[in-house]
Amino acid sequence: MVPNPLALIAEVTHRCPLHCVYCSNPLELAGTKNELSTEEWTGVFQQCGKLGMLHAHFTGGEPLARTDLTELISAARAAGLYTNLITSGIGLNEQRLQTLVDAGLDHIQISFQDSREAAANWIAGAKAHAHKIELSREIRKHKIAFTVNLVVHRQNLDHLEEMIAFIEQLNPERVEIAHAQYYGWALANRVALLPTRAQLEKAVAIVADAEQRLAGRMRIDSVVPDYYAKYPKACMGGWGRRLMLINPAGKVLPCHAAEVLPGMSFENVREKTLDWIWQESSSFRKFRGEDWMPEPCRSCDRRSEDFGGCRCQAYLLAGSDMVTDPACSLAPSHGIVETVVREANADTAVAQLAPASSFVQLQKQTTDLWSYRTNPE
Amino acid sequence: MAVPADTSQPRLAAGCRWGPETKTGAGEERVILFPEGAIKLQGTGRQVLERCDGQRTFGEIIAELQKQFGTADPAKIRGDISQFLEQLQKKRIVDY
Repeated sequence: MVPNPLALIAEVTHRCPLHCVYCSNPLELAGTKNELSTEEWTGVFQQCGKLGMLHAHFTGGEPLARTDLTELISAARAAGLYTNLITSGIGLNEQRLQTLVDAGLDHIQISFQDSREAAANWIAGAKAHAHKIELSREIRKHKIAFTVNLVVHRQNLDHLEEMIAFIEQLNPERVEIAHAQYYGWALANRVALLPTRAQLEKAVAIVADAEQRLAGRMRIDSVVPDYYAKYPKACMGGWGRRLMLINPAGKVLPCHAAEVLPGMSFENVREKTLDWIWQESSSFRKFRGEDWMPEPCRSCDRRSEDFGGCRCQAYLLAGSDMVTDPACSLAPSHGIVETVVREANADTAVAQLAPASSFVQLQKQTTDLWSYRTNPE
Repeated sequence: MAVPADTSQPRLAAGCRWGPETKTGAGEERVILFPEGAIKLQGTGRQVLERCDGQRTFGEIIAELQKQFGTADPAKIRGDISQFLEQLQKKRIVDY
């Protein structure tokens, strides 16, 4: 028996009014028709409660696109879970917020794309910024936890101080300063998003200063982008160790990106119990423990800290999910990341790319355009 | 931010709440749930936080626990509890 998961990431829909160029959703989005029903999600939350899981993170897409979100929050809370809504805020007004709070919402997390309205709307591919500010004021009238999530990258890092000052005014308890992670849409748009080393170093200093200045008022959680790190991130706290993600169609995954891995099949909550999937399924067992590990991980002192890094990144960058994450400086394939980083620093100008006109252009992986996230069928 | 003043009324911050009580080998424990995490509490930590109800003042909490742990150095009890709450305040789990 492995210990049960701590938290569920519930991707309740892939529909979204925003089209962020760094979206973590897979390029192949789950269709609307196949989404789990209210009853099916309720069954999922009940199973999570019985497994002793603590948190349910509602994400998407945009969870508010589900008209039954109130019932879903209420069901998760009734099952004993701490409920967190990760949202753009589009589709939320004063009244609906009150309904969600009444249903037992514990924590709301709003993403901001920038402090500057035009830039924020440009990154999101939607006019959302002004509404988010208004909504943040509304949120502070309720006794729920409020986090602002800020994704940072090449296009906005140069005014990080301004963005932190902007967030201070929104008065959240917590801010996440998250460097874009290169999967899904962000990988397709990496050239436009990967920061320079100078940008990164300056950002680290700014964040450290803000942490000290804001201690006790606003907690800052931040992560260094792994392309610039010496060792890889312990992705999701290790494969099948802490977290379980369920996609809109009921597929149970160890992480956001796992569906890209070739030759793997993932179980569905419509067919199997969560307990069985966690304990017994071949997908969750595949990279659990150390038996699968290649060298240099197998004999590395850090293997129980970073678990060989991210399996999806190993596949996406090095072509195999069985090798050390190329973000690791000890990985045989680290040269791949070094090359990308070198290119990102060769020209330190921040070129603003024009949007690709179609999904077809994205699939060609052009480097002179960027691609807004599309919507599922 | 500094350590709590005697007249402050420590309480759980917005969106932080007690989770279920579970029996473990080490005795009963409770968890506090908060954004992106949880802490398991037993023993003294639990006794301190259960008193952080927004009613009792920090001074009263200290006095209650000093009385309860009569044999220990009262100054040390005060110092330990101050530090404990200050840490939780930085994590935005406790307000005072």
